[in-house]
Amino acid sequence: MAKRTPLSTIKKYRWQELGLFIIPFIILLIAMTQLLLARSVRAGLVPTSSLSTKKLPTIEGLIPVLGIITIFFCINVLLSFTFPRADQILLPLVGLLSGIGVLMALRIGPNLVPASPSLGTRQLIWVVVGLVTFLITLFALRRIEWLKNTYYLWAILGIFMVGITLAHSLRANLNSPTHDQLNIGPLNLQPSELLKIFLVVFFAAYLSKNIDEFAGDDFRIGSLRLPFLPPAKILVTLLIMLGLALVLFLGIRELGLALLVYGIFLCMMYLGSGSIRYAVSGLVFFIILGFIGYALFGYVRARFDVLGFDIVNWQNWSAADQYFAENGGVQIVQGLIALSSGGIIGAGIGLGHPTFVPVVQSDMIFTALGEELGLAGLFAILGIYLFIIYRGYRIAMETTDTFSKLLASGLTSIFAIQTIIIIAGNMKILPLTGIPLPFLSYGGSSIIANYIIIGILLRISHNTAMERAGLA
Amino acid sequence: MPLQLDVFLLILRLLFIILLYLFLMQVVITIRSDLKKTAAVSADEFKAAPVLGHLVVVDSGPSSLLPGTRFDLEPKTTIGRAPTSTIRLTDNFISSAHTSIENRHGTWYVRDIGSMYGTYVNNLPAREALPARPGDIVKIGFISFKLAQ
Repeated sequence: MAKRTPLSTIKKYRWQELGLFIIPFIILLIAMTQLLLARSVRAGLVPTSSLSTKKLPTIEGLIPVLGIITIFFCINVLLSFTFPRADQILLPLVGLLSGIGVLMALRIGPNLVPASPSLGTRQLIWVVVGLVTFLITLFALRRIEWLKNTYYLWAILGIFMVGITLAHSLRANLNSPTHDQLNIGPLNLQPSELLKIFLVVFFAAYLSKNIDEFAGDDFRIGSLRLPFLPPAKILVTLLIMLGLALVLFLGIRELGLALLVYGIFLCMMYLGSGSIRYAVSGLVFFIILGFIGYALFGYVRARFDVLGFDIVNWQNWSAADQYFAENGGVQIVQGLIALSSGGIIGAGIGLGHPTFVPVVQSDMIFTALGEELGLAGLFAILGIYLFIIYRGYRIAMETTDTFSKLLASGLTSIFAIQTIIIIAGNMKILPLTGIPLPFLSYGGSSIIANYIIIGILLRISHNTAMERAGLA
Repeated sequence: MPLQLDVFLLILRLLFIILLYLFLMQVVITIRSDLKKTAAVSADEFKAAPVLGHLVVVDSGPSSLLPGTRFDLEPKTTIGRAPTSTIRLTDNFISSAHTSIENRHGTWYVRDIGSMYGTYVNNLPAREALPARPGDIVKIGFISFKLAQ
């Protein structure tokens, strides 16, 4: 280790990160002020005619946002002393998203039916817990090989999670939209959130141990060579994963989870073998089986019903269409109306009506953002996600160790797949699923799981930088 | 004239969106400077490890390689079908880890690292590390290469 003089600490301080935090902090303060003002306007406390300093919200209202700012600033200082070389761009991006998530929870909570005014406070507490798990992950994961050597543990835990979800949802009502949930006391856990991390750790370890076989020959039957099928060892894994995805999809009707699990698997396969053919053939296979399921089972068709529903033509709806829009398709229909009413710059935080959409705080948060921040705001948020994903893949590219490479790129792929699935669901491109939007949706397990991922990514980038500097 | 509250709210709204994009721009600028730095570092690394020799395909055997194709040799080169190999050959008669070619004190040493179809230097099987000089024929599986400067 280099000597810790005050000068070297100043030089190694994470200035870049601190600089990137400034604008998000201002954004959050502005948004909170706007929310408080909008709330007092809504309540009729303030006439809209004129503005004086007396009518500005008091400083107490800003406490949640000031809390977030303080926490992220403390983390910036702490990491500067302990992990000065870890990636400096991820945390400001994630911090802004979490901040907007807390703001939206604060904003939506009181208007929900039934109202839950503490929604924002609970979301804030979850973010704090998430950041603590982030720090624990970062500090505890001294040697990343530990994850590689215990890889069967993660597989067993993963299967256990699927088992819990299966058992729970077979007991629960299969028609309820959110049966990927586990109630332990007051806590509402989503096992799939941890499952995705376990799966990626397991695959990264398994692939890095067998990388040669995975990059091996095509599948053969005697002398017949099938160029679109991978070698036997991968084929078996592929079939097991396909089976798991189908169990999730057809068995417990969790299309989102099935897509997520299978999508992660295809990404890891492609990353491990470097051959796009296997990934494409795996996808085609899944789509064919999906179509067979669609033709055979009524409840699968019901999930896809809303995709063909014509909302623009609302003036010519038949009575059946009207009934569908008010019952089976109400979430999507209301969500699209919310998105369209947002327009280009949105209604402004606190000035829309996002709570017309059922379950807006978690599944449909994207439509609430669309209504209040507008198309411009949505594009900016998608931009933030793109940068997070870019940074993750960049961290993966820079490492030299195969396991870390696969782990970082797999964990980043989770963000990418999850964001695509839920946003496409909100926008009537895919059937709506109960998968949360990373960092923005309300929900403890999702926030904690995503912060664990960020912790692992920062740890890998720190290891790479130390190795490069010759300090490891 | 006092500022209207709805005008103030509109200003806040616009400011919010403008700042979001300013933030994205700041991220782009940071990433750009970061990329420039890594580009400079990898350019230095490239200078530090010059290409010391080449393998030129003489007889491509059953593979789809064209005779005359040149592969750069690094001081420690591995040849095989695995994506981690320095030179990746995707022929059916090449094992995932087939041959290692190392430069020690100016001499190339060719060694088979557990292949199915073998490695030969001038038709001698390279089960142990065999020295090879420029002009020698290195046969990897059923593909023949000439070692060149």
